[in-house]
Amino acid sequence: MRYRAFVIILAAWLTSTASVASARIKLAALPERERVEIQLDNGNYTLVEEERIVPLLKSGKANNMIDFSWSNTAIDKDSILFRPVAVREGDKFRPVKMIKLADGTEAPEVNVINVAYPPNENALVWEVYSAEACACKVRVSYLISNLTRTFEYRALADKKEKVLTLRKFMVLHNYSGEDFLGAGVWAGFGPKFLKEVNQLDDLKLLMAKFTEVPIDKTFTFDWYTHGALNPDKPLASKILMHYRLTNDEKHKMGEFPLQPGKVRIFIEDGHGGEAFLGEDLAVLTPLDDTMKLYLGESRDIVCTRIIESNQRHAVRGNLCNQEIVIKYEIENFKDAPATLRMLEQLNRLGQQYFGNTHGDVEWEKGGKTSKEIRFDYEFGNATPILLVDLPARPADKDAKVEKVTVRFHVLLKNLWP
Amino acid sequence: MKHITTAITLTILAGLMLCPLAGLAKNVDLVTLPARDSVQLTIYNSEDLTLVKETRYVTFKKGVNKLQFSWANTLIDPTSVTFRPLEHKDDVELLDTVFPGQKPQHLIWNVQSKFEGQVKVEVTYFTSGLTWSMDYVAITDPDETKLHFRGYVRVFNNSGEEYENANVRLIVGTINLVEKIAELARRRGIPVPQPAAAPAVYEKLRREAAADGMARAEMPAEPSARPPVIVKEGLSEYFLFSVSGQETIPNGWSKRMQAVEARDVPFDIVYRMRAFQYGPRPVRFFIWRNDAEHKLGESPLPDGQVNLYRQLAPPAGGGDGSVDGLSFLARQQIRYVPIKAEIEINLGPDDLVVYETRRMGIERLNFHFQAVSGPPHEVVDGWDERTHWVDTIRNYRTKGIKFELRRQWDGDVDYDSEVATTLFDYRTTETTFDIDARSKRQYPATVTVHFGANATQQRVKLKENAR
Amino acid sequence: MRYRAFMIILAGLLMCPATGLAKNVDLVTLPARDSVQLTIYNSEDLTLVKETRYVTLKKGVNKLQFSWANTLIDPTSVTFRPLEHKDDVELLDTVFPGQKPQHLIWNVQSKFEGQVKVEVTYFTSGLTWSMDYVAITDPDETKLHFRGYVRVFNNSGEEYENANVRLIVGTINLVEKIAELARRRGIPVPQPEGGKEKYQELRLSAVHGTIARAETSTAPAGVKPPEIVKEGLSEYFLFSVSGQETIPNGWSKRMQAVEARDVPFDIVYRMRAYQYGPRPVRFFIWRNDAEHKLGESPLPDGQVNLYRQLAPPADGLAFLARQQIRYVPIKAEIEINLGPDDLVVYETQRMGAERLNFHFRAVSGPPHEVVDGWDERTHWVDTIRNYRTKGIKFELRRQWDGDVDYDSEVATTLFDYRTTETTFDIDARSKRQYPATVTVHFGANAAQQRVKLKDSNR
Repeated sequence: MRYRAFVIILAAWLTSTASVASARIKLAALPERERVEIQLDNGNYTLVEEERIVPLLKSGKANNMIDFSWSNTAIDKDSILFRPVAVREGDKFRPVKMIKLADGTEAPEVNVINVAYPPNENALVWEVYSAEACACKVRVSYLISNLTRTFEYRALADKKEKVLTLRKFMVLHNYSGEDFLGAGVWAGFGPKFLKEVNQLDDLKLLMAKFTEVPIDKTFTFDWYTHGALNPDKPLASKILMHYRLTNDEKHKMGEFPLQPGKVRIFIEDGHGGEAFLGEDLAVLTPLDDTMKLYLGESRDIVCTRIIESNQRHAVRGNLCNQEIVIKYEIENFKDAPATLRMLEQLNRLGQQYFGNTHGDVEWEKGGKTSKEIRFDYEFGNATPILLVDLPARPADKDAKVEKVTVRFHVLLKNLWP
Repeated sequence: MKHITTAITLTILAGLMLCPLAGLAKNVDLVTLPARDSVQLTIYNSEDLTLVKETRYVTFKKGVNKLQFSWANTLIDPTSVTFRPLEHKDDVELLDTVFPGQKPQHLIWNVQSKFEGQVKVEVTYFTSGLTWSMDYVAITDPDETKLHFRGYVRVFNNSGEEYENANVRLIVGTINLVEKIAELARRRGIPVPQPAAAPAVYEKLRREAAADGMARAEMPAEPSARPPVIVKEGLSEYFLFSVSGQETIPNGWSKRMQAVEARDVPFDIVYRMRAFQYGPRPVRFFIWRNDAEHKLGESPLPDGQVNLYRQLAPPAGGGDGSVDGLSFLARQQIRYVPIKAEIEINLGPDDLVVYETRRMGIERLNFHFQAVSGPPHEVVDGWDERTHWVDTIRNYRTKGIKFELRRQWDGDVDYDSEVATTLFDYRTTETTFDIDARSKRQYPATVTVHFGANATQQRVKLKENAR
Repeated sequence: MRYRAFMIILAGLLMCPATGLAKNVDLVTLPARDSVQLTIYNSEDLTLVKETRYVTLKKGVNKLQFSWANTLIDPTSVTFRPLEHKDDVELLDTVFPGQKPQHLIWNVQSKFEGQVKVEVTYFTSGLTWSMDYVAITDPDETKLHFRGYVRVFNNSGEEYENANVRLIVGTINLVEKIAELARRRGIPVPQPEGGKEKYQELRLSAVHGTIARAETSTAPAGVKPPEIVKEGLSEYFLFSVSGQETIPNGWSKRMQAVEARDVPFDIVYRMRAYQYGPRPVRFFIWRNDAEHKLGESPLPDGQVNLYRQLAPPADGLAFLARQQIRYVPIKAEIEINLGPDDLVVYETQRMGAERLNFHFRAVSGPPHEVVDGWDERTHWVDTIRNYRTKGIKFELRRQWDGDVDYDSEVATTLFDYRTTETTFDIDARSKRQYPATVTVHFGANAAQQRVKLKDSNR
């Protein structure tokens, strides 16, 4: 196989030094590579490891001088390593062993003495000692730039949105100036692939497929982040839909952290085809963490937030408590039940109805709080999440959608202007 | 004859016999994807995004097959193209996808096949340039008690590609995209296609469209006798409208089809007076629901413009029956209406319903003083202000009306009225009236506002008997 | 042997008329050098060159001419001394002729007639050296194979063949740079060679040099990399490369200087948001001492490339990190920062805030009292999750501003007046929680700017 990027310098100039032919010239060109591995596990550096079989002469008066040059400026010159790994014995290779020297010390039987770098050239010369003439398997590794990878995901949910199949793709971007035919590619996790990666090409391949991943579909209402839905409904606000996928074994994943990348989500349409639901950018999801994918708005759930009462109580001097009752009127027009998560940013509530809260508010739940509300504190104490279960829209054509009304009675304590 | 011109696929010969074996061994087995057999378009309303699903018949040989897919002058997102076999699924596997750097708008699939022969495959991708919109026409009877409601969907094709005999589906709902398709396509270096503008081209297209219509007639399927039926079903948070049959929409054209129809839909008329929301005059609303009781309720109604008319009553003496004119009442954009949700059309102020509000008297009481050094030794720092309001509503219509009044109050307010009043929220009072035809109603109220040191709250409190 | 840099000027004795230029009659050029030693300083572009030459002297005053062209030699640094017949040979003075730049003339008085070995030393510029390190850990990350390489760059304009090379580690003080001194005497800075023929010629001579070495020395060619002997010298360390090296002009040469196998090292995770950012950062730490198979000499500044050997059957390397390290004295610590690790996750959460201990100030008029001091008590819970297959050591430091009282059931100490520190050992695939209660005093309640640990903590 011919490799465009590597210039092979022949020992042709042997002829020019015929006068000193009495000394054996041990300059050899680096043979072509047998095997290439591309390691992409480090996000910032791509390591290329090549294996070559180098014939070495026995070091007598002089050592082997091995010439390595390249035209590709994407190779980091200072990172080039030359490692003798194995020596051929018969038709097999055995590892390089240590031998005893004349002065009693030990050294490897094949050893790099020094490296010389000529000026203004992408080249170097290794001086290599070899105890015997042999064929030595050598690993040459270096860091190369502009050979990078990104990740993409494709999720396909079943029609009922209970489970999905998540496919993770790796896209290799090869702008390094080098062709890699038959290279072993490893991303740092998952399987290793044998691929042909040509210059300027992008190569997309499937890295992992997770099936039957349970979907946690959530609907979120956050008044202070999104504000009024539209002028016709000034007290309603957007309801955002997310798919939450937890990266652990219980949820059929949990093999490795999921790298950031764009996720495209599709759903089976029930006729053998698929429909696109939306896409989102996923951030790094360590094991046991949850990947939150935002799909879009749900317009079949309408939630209106009304401040039913707002009362201030003096405590001492200018120290007060503020008592507020928030009423939520929710209608679910979907044909499936749903749980609505309503975020109340209590610091913003305090600022709006009192003034300066001097940091996170201190608060208590009041007696008028509806029993149907469950509380979650994923975002900390100052932003509780109120969870309300909503029944599906009645199947009966003549039945009306019931408005679910719940109240959150909150007492903001110890405020002063 | 059938037109097979499709801008999307280029044909490149196998090259087996033209290139020397040594140098271009790689390209020997490159096969172009054959022309498409069937195509389905799923058009998203909220973003300029269409999912195209095509089926094609590809001949595979055993081992690794290289299939080339290319497109020119169309905005396809290269990162979205997928390939999957529909037959022999266990024998055919996609190994990887290569996007060659030197050839924009190309990709090569490396497919491993155990099966030799023809296989039906499906290719899907996202494209841009196809959009749809909805509009409605509602006509009430002369008495304004029932209306005839129709909704139309219109599909626009500016994609640069001709779509013939495509199965069309429309998605209602707002999805999330992180990058626009047009951007993704342009990133790989092609300009946005312009719709055919020149008259010569237009004529050519009309002829082709007509020819195509005839071609369809030549085919065994029957010509459409009725408008296409649009089937509506739910899909996650979205609704899918599937247009039955197949449509041909040439590049640059648009097509409008009826999607919804309901006759004799009952509706309510309500007047609302909310100065803080609708302005200084009461505003009239026609309200009904998207449910079975109102002859609707099959699917949600997408955003769209509503044109509302009233059928004029024929003249008293009969007439020649041709005075069946319409009176234009209102035009309004409605927002997405879920199943069983309300539809409200705002007709604006009505000259025949008048609202007036008057302050009848002010008193100051309950003064609070603060001691100061020097004369006058005490200064006012808190007081109450009591105002008497009288609102009058006059209805000059020939029907009784339902009237809802809401008023917003700032500050620490005590509210009292002999007419039943409730609190809509912590600072808004609400009262509803039924006012007969050609009559008026009065609404008195006493409002006490606390100022300065007397003000300890920011809300309205109703007096006990008012609740 | 031909030396490009030194121009050979013929005695001229026979060409000039006796009357006018009697002075120049006895001008003798310095013969070619016999041996040369280079001592290269890392911190400044400075090399001390020490050459020995054999000069034939006659009785009386001898004029010896020394010149250099296209090399950056500091003329004020050139010295001359005889190594043999020291009592008979005396340097009278040194003349720097104005018309002839890059020249000097020694007037030497000799009572001895014949060949004398002399030593010439001077400072030159254009030779530098740098250090780089390669460390490869075993698959389990318990031991590493550590190698340090010294690379000598020759941009002096001069070919150095068979030179004895020594390298100085440390920062010395110079009052003027050599290059400046050289330029003052009017020569441009030499450029390293370009052009293909020159390249080939040099490669030829490089190899030629190696062969020449093979011819002259009876010892076999380098079996091992040259040994580098390290010894202390005042505040500096001297690395002496054994044997002789040939480094043509424009070339550089890299030689192994340090090697240690099976070096044990510790892995520590540090979470310090104010210093390292929002995620915990992993460190490999060991020492430059005998327990860690090192400790012979300090380690100069240089770039470290850190790899991990992959477990069979992969048999390759994974690149872990690249970092510049600074000078490491003997017995001092070496730390490599590997950056955040996706398999170790740290989260912190505020679980609740309370306000208490209000202090009031009287005011005239309502409300008669206003709050002017309070305490805010917050409950924090930190969670650390370790997904690695080994236990880890985790150190957490948090910085607090203001008058802070700190309480935790987990043993915590103070790193400094405002930083709390806790260390954990977390088993493989498990998590630890770290709860703390922090009370901050505000307004009139704030009297300090420091963290105070509750007694039970110390």
